Amino acid sequence: MAESVDARRLRITSEDETEGTLIGFRCRECGVSVFGPVTFCQSCTSFEVEPVDLGSEGTLFSYTIVRIPPAGWPGDIPYVLGQVELPSGPQVLAEVIDCDHADLTIGMPVELAIRAVPAQEGGADKLVYKWRPATS
Amino acid sequence: MAELRPGREVVVAGVGLHPFGRFPDKDMSEMALEAVVESLKDAGVQWRDIPIAYFGHVYYHGMSLGETTLSKLGLTGVPIVNVENACSSGSTAFWQAYWGVTTGIYDMALAFGSEKVPRGPVTVTPEDAPERYIGGDHMMAGYALRARRYMEETGAPATALAQISVKARQNASLNPYAHRKDLYSLEEVLQSRMISDPLTLFQCCPTSEGAAAAVLCARDSLSKYGIDESRVVSIAAAVLTSGEYNGRGADHSAFSPYRTEPAALQAYEMSGLGPEDVDLCQVHDAATIGELQQIESLHLVPFGEAWQATVEGRTALTGDIPTNTDGGLLAMGHPFGASGIRMIHETVTQLRGEAGQRQVARARVGVAQCSGAGDVTTVHILKK
Repeated sequence: MAESVDARRLRITSEDETEGTLIGFRCRECGVSVFGPVTFCQSCTSFEVEPVDLGSEGTLFSYTIVRIPPAGWPGDIPYVLGQVELPSGPQVLAEVIDCDHADLTIGMPVELAIRAVPAQEGGADKLVYKWRPATS
Repeated sequence: MAELRPGREVVVAGVGLHPFGRFPDKDMSEMALEAVVESLKDAGVQWRDIPIAYFGHVYYHGMSLGETTLSKLGLTGVPIVNVENACSSGSTAFWQAYWGVTTGIYDMALAFGSEKVPRGPVTVTPEDAPERYIGGDHMMAGYALRARRYMEETGAPATALAQISVKARQNASLNPYAHRKDLYSLEEVLQSRMISDPLTLFQCCPTSEGAAAAVLCARDSLSKYGIDESRVVSIAAAVLTSGEYNGRGADHSAFSPYRTEPAALQAYEMSGLGPEDVDLCQVHDAATIGELQQIESLHLVPFGEAWQATVEGRTALTGDIPTNTDGGLLAMGHPFGASGIRMIHETVTQLRGEAGQRQVARARVGVAQCSGAGDVTTVHILKK
């Protein structure tokens, strides 16, 4: 069984491990949503934060094609890195897959894709969130 | 943010620089020591006069490196503080030195930094972090995301960004301390190896080695130490900030491009000076896009217009906002612990009128701005 690359950011929602949703926290006082784990609201510092499902869709805010990857990158080279804005506001960086470079445009709708990646130190594969052009 | 309450006036009394580049025969400590000794000589003071020292560095080269380095000058028992604040480690050391002196705790302080940055893309997170699988921890990819977005929003062409690298080399060719001094053309910049679209190799700063140092002194104590008042440069503002919530949340390496603005506004308020008073600036140009967004954040040009100012030559040595006059990170290279103090060194050199062939005309007020991972920003304003 593979494991979420970070269970505080990504919840796997299908048994075949191909679907998932991004998770984070929403502030009950100011309404701001934050991707990933927080104890206090990043905006107003309130302690009144509740877990929230941030969904699996967004729009491409910016992108780059990384030709020289950082050490230990386990994927293809080059790879597309997308900066994606979620409907509730937070931005999430991840690889954009299944897309010709020529078709990338700022503002394009994207959806989450889950891929298993071998762990660097052996052990269970990591389930990593990636983006791909929206199909619906 | 808390109100800043500076006390007495503090000046830079001396600066020292070890050349930036690759020095396989020297370690961080040896480079640091050369810069420190130069800064002490420049100020005309002795190591035994220095009551406190701050040392900026990021990469590990043994514990308490500040102490082991300065022990070569003599064990005087003074406090020595090792500072890590990513790419702003050096400027943070300088900021601490300023606040130690202005508040009256110390009459003088030494700020120094040194680094040997490994080759290859710079990452921020530990080796087992999720980012290593997600692919988002890549400093230049972060800048590339900003560049792509900036070009989309402002209509800046790739040639405008490349012009910054051409200018950096022109300035560096007049600076014996620079890592990269060879000139290149716009075409050579654009045709160099693509690192992360749209940033080519020559639009990314080299990872480098080097060291820098500065001696700070309270103006009211200059005569006590026999410091020549005619060469000192006043510190009009010293500001350090971390990230403010930007409406997007912080996904690790997703920088907020204009995070410098709050620090800049605070620095202008502290100094009583405004953008219209600034004669030259050194800003964090780890990639070309950085320079554009920093001079906009400093309000030296309106938002979205820095690329035009660049194309028009306004940021060149002969322009009205000379920027990165020593070659900046793009040509000096970027030893993290040293870079922030290197910017102070260049600003002081310019304000003293000692910059030789790269001297800017009418240099009275200079800004040094340095950024770091964690949305760290320092802004220092120096005044002759």
